[in-house]
Amino acid sequence: MLTQDTSARAGTITIALQRFIRSYGLILILAVITFSFTIIQPAFLSLDNIIGILYQVSLVGTMAVCSTFVIITGGIDLSVGPVLAMSGLYTVFTLTANGQLLIPALLIGLLTGVVCGLLNGLAVSILRLPPIIVTLATMSIFRGVALLTGGSTLHAVSGPDSFLFIGQGKIAGLPFPIFIFAIVALIMLFLQTRTRFGLNVFAVGENEEAARLCGLPVMQTRLLVYVISGIGAAIGGLMLTSQVNTAWSTYGSGVELDVIAAIVLGGTSLAGGSGSVHRTVIGALLIGEMNNGMSMLNVSVEQQLIAKGLIIILAIAFNNKLLTWAEK
Amino acid sequence: MLKFKSLRKTSANFGLIWFYLVVFIVFSLVAPIFRTTQNLTNILSAYSHIGIVAVGMTFPLLLGGIDLSVGSIMGLVAMVVFDATLLFHLPGWVGILAGLLTGILAGLFNAFLIVRVKIQPFIATLATLTAYRGLTYAISGRQINPDLTVVAIKDPLLLSIDGRFGQIPFAFVYLIVIVIVTMIFLRLTRFGINMYSVGGNLLASRLAGINVDRVKVLGYALSGFFTAIATLVLMSRMRSTQEGLGQGLELSAIAAAVIGGVSLNGGIGNTFGAALGAFLIGTLSTGLILIGVTGYAPQVVIGVILIIAVSYDRFTVARRKRRWLELQHNDSALIGSGASRT
Amino acid sequence: MTDNNILLKARGLSKQYGAVQALDNVDMDLRLGQVHALVGSNGAGKSTLVKILTGAVAPDSGKLLIEEHPISGNTRAMLDAGIACIYQDSQLVPALSVLDNIMLGRQPTRRFGFLDRKTQRDIVTALLAKHDLQLDLDSPVLALPPVQQKEVEIAKALSLNARIILMDEPTAALSHAEVEKLFRSIRRLREQGVAILYISHMLDEIFTIADQVTVIRDGKVRLSVPIAEISKKMLIETMLGQELSAEVRVTQKQSHASTEVALECRGLSKTGLFENINLQVHSGEIVCLTGLVGAKRSELVRAIFGVEPADRGEIFVYGEPVKIKHPLDAIRLGMGFVPEDRRRDGLFMSLSLGLNIIMAHLSSATRLGLLAQGTIRSVGNEQIADLGIVPARLDAVPRSLSGGNQQKVLLGRWLTGNTRIIILDEPTVGIDVGTKANIYALLRKLAAANKAVLIVSSDIEEVLTVADRVVVMAQGRVTGNFDQTQISQELILRAASGEVM
Repeated sequence: MLTQDTSARAGTITIALQRFIRSYGLILILAVITFSFTIIQPAFLSLDNIIGILYQVSLVGTMAVCSTFVIITGGIDLSVGPVLAMSGLYTVFTLTANGQLLIPALLIGLLTGVVCGLLNGLAVSILRLPPIIVTLATMSIFRGVALLTGGSTLHAVSGPDSFLFIGQGKIAGLPFPIFIFAIVALIMLFLQTRTRFGLNVFAVGENEEAARLCGLPVMQTRLLVYVISGIGAAIGGLMLTSQVNTAWSTYGSGVELDVIAAIVLGGTSLAGGSGSVHRTVIGALLIGEMNNGMSMLNVSVEQQLIAKGLIIILAIAFNNKLLTWAEK
Repeated sequence: MLKFKSLRKTSANFGLIWFYLVVFIVFSLVAPIFRTTQNLTNILSAYSHIGIVAVGMTFPLLLGGIDLSVGSIMGLVAMVVFDATLLFHLPGWVGILAGLLTGILAGLFNAFLIVRVKIQPFIATLATLTAYRGLTYAISGRQINPDLTVVAIKDPLLLSIDGRFGQIPFAFVYLIVIVIVTMIFLRLTRFGINMYSVGGNLLASRLAGINVDRVKVLGYALSGFFTAIATLVLMSRMRSTQEGLGQGLELSAIAAAVIGGVSLNGGIGNTFGAALGAFLIGTLSTGLILIGVTGYAPQVVIGVILIIAVSYDRFTVARRKRRWLELQHNDSALIGSGASRT
Repeated sequence: MTDNNILLKARGLSKQYGAVQALDNVDMDLRLGQVHALVGSNGAGKSTLVKILTGAVAPDSGKLLIEEHPISGNTRAMLDAGIACIYQDSQLVPALSVLDNIMLGRQPTRRFGFLDRKTQRDIVTALLAKHDLQLDLDSPVLALPPVQQKEVEIAKALSLNARIILMDEPTAALSHAEVEKLFRSIRRLREQGVAILYISHMLDEIFTIADQVTVIRDGKVRLSVPIAEISKKMLIETMLGQELSAEVRVTQKQSHASTEVALECRGLSKTGLFENINLQVHSGEIVCLTGLVGAKRSELVRAIFGVEPADRGEIFVYGEPVKIKHPLDAIRLGMGFVPEDRRRDGLFMSLSLGLNIIMAHLSSATRLGLLAQGTIRSVGNEQIADLGIVPARLDAVPRSLSGGNQQKVLLGRWLTGNTRIIILDEPTVGIDVGTKANIYALLRKLAAANKAVLIVSSDIEEVLTVADRVVVMAQGRVTGNFDQTQISQELILRAASGEVM
């Protein structure tokens, strides 16, 4: 009995250590990077610069927090780029057709995301096709639809101001996209930690069979996470279109990889069953901070790209090492 | 006859060949321009290099992995060749060798991350997708010397890479040769068989004493190597490059391979299928444009074909494999977890 | 006594996993040209023994000798020593041909790594001819019927010059005719002097094919005799364990069964699995569903719970006819199910104990879709205290718990809601003796609280300890139904061997 107790205690310590590293390892990395940049370039920690970083990450960050659930269930969504483009296009079309009425246009934009997400979700949950192929295919399909409906020309946004406010407005000196990112992240965090749905997402990702035996709605959960990811991409489309005053059918090419990078850098495993929204936020911030810090240090864009790739590798390898070390 | 039978048994290529023929015949009947030599030549030259990359992609996929970095490897290889010839004025063969070496090294670095650092292939190659692209910008001779952007490559050796035998572009000939060589490699050499083995049953491969890591390293190196070859072909035609060359190529190559019957779960498929998949995409896209569907419809169609291909894979080939695996696992479920498992 | 025919000797093998003694001082001899059957119920220690023989795990103590030479080491060393294993999980590569699978990793090559197909074909053809196996060398193995896949594995073992072949449940995926075919292959191997360790739950098979049988239970060898010297009844008796003395049973048991029928199946059938099952469980009653492995008991309870619903037949819950198409339907009717493989099908390893416990009754801890943390905490704490789960912390994760505590968490999951009928599949497999008693007491407490309890168990000691009523299945049919006054080891064993009572 005694041996059991000690081993249990050792186990508890190990678990605590693992949990500490899981929860705070990233923040540690974030802190170290911030610290180093600040030493080299004190302006890095200035309020303006911090706001700048937040503004820069708000678009990808918003999309990434919305895609996090997909990854937690062990899936992936590669189709966010064209969904972003479509959402922007249809919002602008609706604005033009409806005499600049804001609400219907926003609804149409978001609805685009819902429909796209539903299509992905149905293929994954009901047809049980592999998510990577499904969303690779819909990436092509949605891009084609965007091009078919939007052509290759830029569509200028002629207003209203309320729409332009989404991407360009400021509240108390802070750019509005930051608020969108914050609100979406808080909603997602709320869904993840406070709601039954959030728990279902984890349960399905962690052990689908056990979830089924507990009577959890496995299929609906799988469906819904793709819808949320679609909505995230649609919000991204609204933000981008408003920021740059235009909608274009090729917007968002390659954004899926940035989104996944932010999630993965946050330590969410592509195998599913782990991860969280706040860590995706940290992942997005890490990328934003690195981009910004390196720009301030006059690191050229190309070196930034190299560094970004290497840092993703290092961060993940480091996190893996820490975890295996903690498990010993 | 025996060979024929075994081919039919082992590959999902058969359905695909029929489908390809049907598509081809339909377009030939519907759109007279489609069957002109000029058009066919265009298809061959426009899709051969994607076919070559798809052949390369087949190896990581057979291993149950993936290589997202091929597009960036293409950009990087092209820039190395560009610098060698236009910036440093080195002879063409040096450029070609440097390009091939770059491709192989890039593949080897991917393999290092996957085998040694033990990062999932998807993430590792996602990271190198970014890193290699950055490297491309960093070494870009176009940025060091902006005048070079308008200078075309004149090296005769490099330019002789692409050309035509009558109406047949060299690129297509390379693809044919590559498919033949890789098919021989996959079917007639031990290394090739080991590729299927590692992707099909990792544990059994380990127990059989196969050096699994070495097989993986080779797989990713081959992916880089064939991407380099495709790049040389493309450069020879374009006579220049730009930093963004090959962006999004990884997805076309994966789509081609999957449409060609290469399973993402590993262990199933071959390079002939991957090349055929590339041309199916090419033929469909071109054909659709020629029969007057607007220029963007092909993307939709490619996506739909991809879904059909994977559904086919899922509900036939994969189901057979899955049922096969289930049979094996069912009895272990019956036996349940002994004390030894806890 | 010296016996020149002994090829492999195992002496004093022991292995402990945590608190569970998986193998305890096991001796065994494998002889040339002999089929040696190894039997025992789940968790008896068979798979541990196999793992030691294949080098996958090292024993804590004891040694292995081949022709008096000690051998030890990893899987490679064991293969080189001539021990090959045909695992339950296939060791074949599905897309590769028979030819390549047989010589996987060892294909003869010419220059540049090119395969020497001719030599390879000659070697394999000669091998197959020698052992009289007929296989299409060019067919990929995934296109072969299961029995031929087993034959490919046998050929693979033979091509490694294996003199000792372990076969772990080789007939599990085979039809009756295919089993016959496999037996012919095995007999030929025996004639050629190969020693075979044949692990199976199918006693008929063992009596057909084996020369010697060893029974292992709770990690100890209980019996090792030539097959001719033992009856089926005796074998089952040794496998399932000894009857407890009458006093023990009486003191431990006090039935709470009421006349109310909580769960009833009428004519439940699922093609190929079970046929015409009639079963009743009363409130306050503990019913044990027993039989040999392969009797399809797990399949039956999974069907009742809606995991893989039955094709035909009716289910009644408290007298009401019900349709259960999904576990959720069953849960809504107040049923609970603890699966056999806790880790694979039961627990969420990285979620906290609190969440693991509430998972099946989330609606009771949800207000407008929001999780009521207070309810989750209080429910979790209540179960942890009631069940005596160690560590008693809501935020611990199941990964760090012992098997017994993990099982308690799963039990707690069903005790939280309005569960009135609880089904447990092999609830004490892999759990140490102390915790077992603990779990029995809990089950008794449940019955006392007027719950209906249905337990699938292969352990006769367990059955005799906890059951108010015993239902015996054999080959997908109910062959015996005994109430407390009738329960006896004798009757259960006869029913389990397929004799309809």
